[in-house]
Amino acid sequence: MQNLFAPGHRACAGCAMPTAVKLILDAAGPNTIVASPTGCLEVISTPFPESAWEVAWIHSLFENAAAVASGIDVVMKRLGKEDTNILVIAGDGSTFDIGIGCISGMFERGHNVKYICYDNEAYMNTGVQRSSSTPFCTNTTTTPAGKVSFGNPLPKKDMPAIAVAHRVPYVATASVAYPVDLRKKVKRACEIKGPAYIQISAPCITGWNFEAGNTIEIARLAVETCLWPLYEYVFGELDGVKKVRSKKPVEDYLKTQGRYRHLFRKEGGAEVIAKIQAMADANALKFGLLG
Amino acid sequence: MPTKLIEGNSAVIVGALYAGCDCFFGYPITPASEILHEASRFFPKLNRRFVQAESEEAAINMAYGAAAAGHRVLAASSGPGMSLKQEGISYMAGAELPCVIVNINRAGPGLGNIGPEQSDYNQAVKGGGHGCYENIVLAPNSVQEMCDMTMLAFDLAFKYRNPVIVLADGVLGHMVEPLKFPDRAIEPKIDDSWAVSGTKETRGNLITSITLDFNELERHNLNLQEKFQRMRESEVMFEEYMTEDADVVLVSYGISSRIARSAVDAARKEGIRAGLLRPLALYPFPSQEIKALSDRGAKMISVEMNEGQMRDDIRLATNCAPVELVCRYGGNLIALGDVLGKIREVA
Repeated sequence: MQNLFAPGHRACAGCAMPTAVKLILDAAGPNTIVASPTGCLEVISTPFPESAWEVAWIHSLFENAAAVASGIDVVMKRLGKEDTNILVIAGDGSTFDIGIGCISGMFERGHNVKYICYDNEAYMNTGVQRSSSTPFCTNTTTTPAGKVSFGNPLPKKDMPAIAVAHRVPYVATASVAYPVDLRKKVKRACEIKGPAYIQISAPCITGWNFEAGNTIEIARLAVETCLWPLYEYVFGELDGVKKVRSKKPVEDYLKTQGRYRHLFRKEGGAEVIAKIQAMADANALKFGLLG
Repeated sequence: MPTKLIEGNSAVIVGALYAGCDCFFGYPITPASEILHEASRFFPKLNRRFVQAESEEAAINMAYGAAAAGHRVLAASSGPGMSLKQEGISYMAGAELPCVIVNINRAGPGLGNIGPEQSDYNQAVKGGGHGCYENIVLAPNSVQEMCDMTMLAFDLAFKYRNPVIVLADGVLGHMVEPLKFPDRAIEPKIDDSWAVSGTKETRGNLITSITLDFNELERHNLNLQEKFQRMRESEVMFEEYMTEDADVVLVSYGISSRIARSAVDAARKEGIRAGLLRPLALYPFPSQEIKALSDRGAKMISVEMNEGQMRDDIRLATNCAPVELVCRYGGNLIALGDVLGKIREVA
């Protein structure tokens, strides 16, 4: 494996995101330009004058990485360097919320940009505020669980479906717990001309509140409970899913994380867990994950 | 009233709630996020509205909408987020809507870092967005003032139907000091005399900033200018410390003014007659008072964490008298020794 994301960066021990970035860059190779908006990745990888990036890297503000990447694409085409991979690697806050307008424009114009979201399901860099990627009934600093509230009242936004609706040639979900699958998907995205969207499950020890050694196990449980289905869409058609051999109950996943502790302590928690189980069951059915 | 040890950002929410603020629209950004956290904790409990927006622009435009409906609205952000909000602030000024916006100034330009700076002075004081408009700008220097000035900001926003900016910084936002809670509380109420709230009574009201006719828009601008003139006549606020006999006068605001005040004390111990003028409002600026000090021969030093943005206003106020500058950038606070050194140099 080529290491294009150097060690010595400042991520928390147990953070899934650097693992994801290493795998992404290994698949994309050295002929790659990465644009990243503000977020954990930018903060941990480039405290001036240090940099963990062994490929060309550019930073932009919260909402506009897809626009910056669009500009790079225009110039690379002009220079005849169409074999260079142009990636955005961004968190869920900038992807699902503030950046979605620029992403939509980039998709629609059909830039050769592979947009990869490391999804830790909240604004972790600014202190665990909810994003529209935060799952139903998660405890965050702006959706605090308490006497009345079970946390975030809304379900997770279906960003891959939004990408598919833009007729993006390649859309996939991936997980740090399935590195071979993740690498394969990034390679495939780079091989297909035009925009791509990949969303990677990236557990966060501080925001999700778990022991640093459990990152991969928790990411795997998300897949095995069908809360994080692994699938690919090619030109708008479902083109493959990772089957779940023995589906686990969502409690197995929820109980590993402090952000769901209230569901097991508060009256009415069982009903909420049943609703989350229904979401997992719906995923299993929709994507044909079982059997 | 109770006194409590509290963080500056939390004090903003205390002030807002006592001022009858009933809507908060926010987006996460360090070092202002605690305002968002506290709003999410307390607004729903008190039956007030809290929405976490999907972007800074969405947040300020939710504020625009709620303000147009006559509500008492708070928004808060920092550097990069404030830049994104400028369009909305210009529209509010154009449509004459009251809104309080708190800026916990961080170091720039660009992403910069999350340390304190006072580099958004010009953005706040000179309008910030497009078109001819001014914001009232209040500059707290303690946790108590973070609360009190937020409260005052609501009074002024409604008095003039204009955006009011509370300009603090990363230190004030995160600093913990005792806060004496306000001794008055305003109940949220809607002013129907100009707002649009979907009722028969408010049907005749119009909230807009579009005026296609050139002469009409000129008239609108002249009316706005008249309002800004009234602000300049009525809302100058400042604090003087040992300026009566001062040969050297520091002008400083926010967190820097506390260091400047210590420097005045240190200089006085050395027998140098130093003083401090602290603008409590940066707009309108205490130009006449500064001019009076300069006219009687006091030497002026601007103490601020930027390249001298307020110094320009001091120069304007004093017909371009020489004004020295003590400054730091990048998230660094000004050292007392540097201020004292400059006082000795000019004394």
